[in-house]
Amino acid sequence: MMKHKIKGFEIKLGGGIVFFYLFWALGWFFYSHFIKGSLTTPYNPLPNLKTELLAPMSDGFLLGTDIYGRSLVEILSAGLLYSFGVSLLVSFFAGMIGLFIGQLSAGDKYFIKIPSDMLTNLIFVFPSILIAILFMSVVGQSFWGLVFVLSFTGWPAYAKIIRTEVLRIKNLSYVECSRASGISHWGLFFRIIIPAVLPVLLVHLFLGMSGVIISEASLGFLGLGGSEFSFGAGLSSAKSVLLEAPHITIFFSLSLAGLIMGLNLLGDGLRDYMDPKNNERISK
Amino acid sequence: MSLFLNKLSYFLVTIFLSLTLIFFLIRLAPGDPVARILGPNAKMEEIISYREQLGLTKATHVQYIDYLTGIFKGDLGNSLYSKKKITRLMGEHFIPTFTIAFFSILFAFIFGVIFGMLSGIYKSKFFDHLARALAITALSFPIFSLGPVLVYLMAIKLKLLPVSEWGDLKHAILPILTLVIPLGAIITKVTRNKFLEEAKVPWVDFLRAKGMDNNGINLRVLKVCMPTILNIVGIQMSVVLAGTMITETIFDIPGMGMLLFESIQNRDYPVVQGIIVYSTIIYMAIYFTVDYLNEKMDPRIG
Repeated sequence: MMKHKIKGFEIKLGGGIVFFYLFWALGWFFYSHFIKGSLTTPYNPLPNLKTELLAPMSDGFLLGTDIYGRSLVEILSAGLLYSFGVSLLVSFFAGMIGLFIGQLSAGDKYFIKIPSDMLTNLIFVFPSILIAILFMSVVGQSFWGLVFVLSFTGWPAYAKIIRTEVLRIKNLSYVECSRASGISHWGLFFRIIIPAVLPVLLVHLFLGMSGVIISEASLGFLGLGGSEFSFGAGLSSAKSVLLEAPHITIFFSLSLAGLIMGLNLLGDGLRDYMDPKNNERISK
Repeated sequence: MSLFLNKLSYFLVTIFLSLTLIFFLIRLAPGDPVARILGPNAKMEEIISYREQLGLTKATHVQYIDYLTGIFKGDLGNSLYSKKKITRLMGEHFIPTFTIAFFSILFAFIFGVIFGMLSGIYKSKFFDHLARALAITALSFPIFSLGPVLVYLMAIKLKLLPVSEWGDLKHAILPILTLVIPLGAIITKVTRNKFLEEAKVPWVDFLRAKGMDNNGINLRVLKVCMPTILNIVGIQMSVVLAGTMITETIFDIPGMGMLLFESIQNRDYPVVQGIIVYSTIIYMAIYFTVDYLNEKMDPRIG
């Protein structure tokens, strides 16, 4: 009973934090696209060198300004929107590829099963962050390049999860029934397998999002991000003024840490909740 | 012995395939790296002569064979920026990176296993809650935000440790701490979960019925958990390698990370490629060694 309570607590706390950040990012999206800017040219925080490195709560800047004199609240909001965008896109693409290859490697045909399983295992042991560093240093600052390389190294984790899930589901009697009634291969995939693996996939998408955000920010820190508003790029520039303006580093770190913590708590909580091994809701 | 040969062949095939994939990934990347290195004002003749110098005018399969033989001979050509040999440059920068990575893994392993085990033994007690809360907090701070925060707290506010130099033992404390905290948190988490899982198994009850004391039982359970923990350390090695490089740029340590960072800034992409290729080989070697040791230790996995 006690354990059950804590699980719920994790989900609630993590969900609350994630919703707060989502609200913040969406608020910034509407503000920059409809109130300040227009739909096609969003409003970006611009350098304003007259007010360089202001402390928090001064001169109308809520959190002060960064080294280029841009309002820190706006930089953080733009970075947050960018982080959410990258992590959602990468998780979506990686999840889709993982779903497709995962169900192929759980299939019946030997000549499809073995190669897709080998490909999954090969890319799974790839040092994804190192490959991303190399790729981005060749491509340069590019949003779609970043999304491509992070999805490319990210999908095998999903494929492995999907594979075990599909193998488990295939032995359930209702799947056997539908196969006996003559459902086609793709009909089975779309109408039986996808609805059955979707909850597990969604939980792992949440868990993967925090990893994507960390990878993206690490690349940004090395000067390889897809945008100048990345949290990593911000922390990298804040590092040089750590003595004069520690508030920049602290605000960046805290907002990034809060986001990652929220996603981790929500993902972990949901995973524990769905795990049949320590599940109490079925027995009750 | 056959297990060893099996793992070795799998390792060699994986290395070969990943080096191939790296090669083609770079060639497929959009944009011309030479044009990016020389900037927008470069003349056409300059670009062409530069391409010849880099060997980009040869046929792709010749380039590919050059690339593979270069890696195994330890000759990747010269840096575009400092004109030194790439492998020599890397050799000069290797020692600090190795020292930091080695000691961080060592300390993270020791602390992680101890805290994870204690947290498993005192499940749902104060220590367990504290350790879990600390682990969750530690995992929320990526290395590049934890590093500056630690510098601010320990070096600027409390003036306990020097800020950023390299040379004696004192300077290595903060970088190692920066790496130990997240890695130790992961190991703590994994050890705790695995420990609790293994402590439910029937043979633990049997040992208890036989009259073995708690310490003996806990140590035996820990021994069974070791393969899983080692496996996590192996998987985390790529994060550790990248993390060490990022830590070096924070603390101005003249290691591989600093070389990588400078090469990225100077658009010296042969050096970047060299560092990434050799890091990949090191990572894979560690990964497969751990995998091999795991199967040796735990016959159930095989």
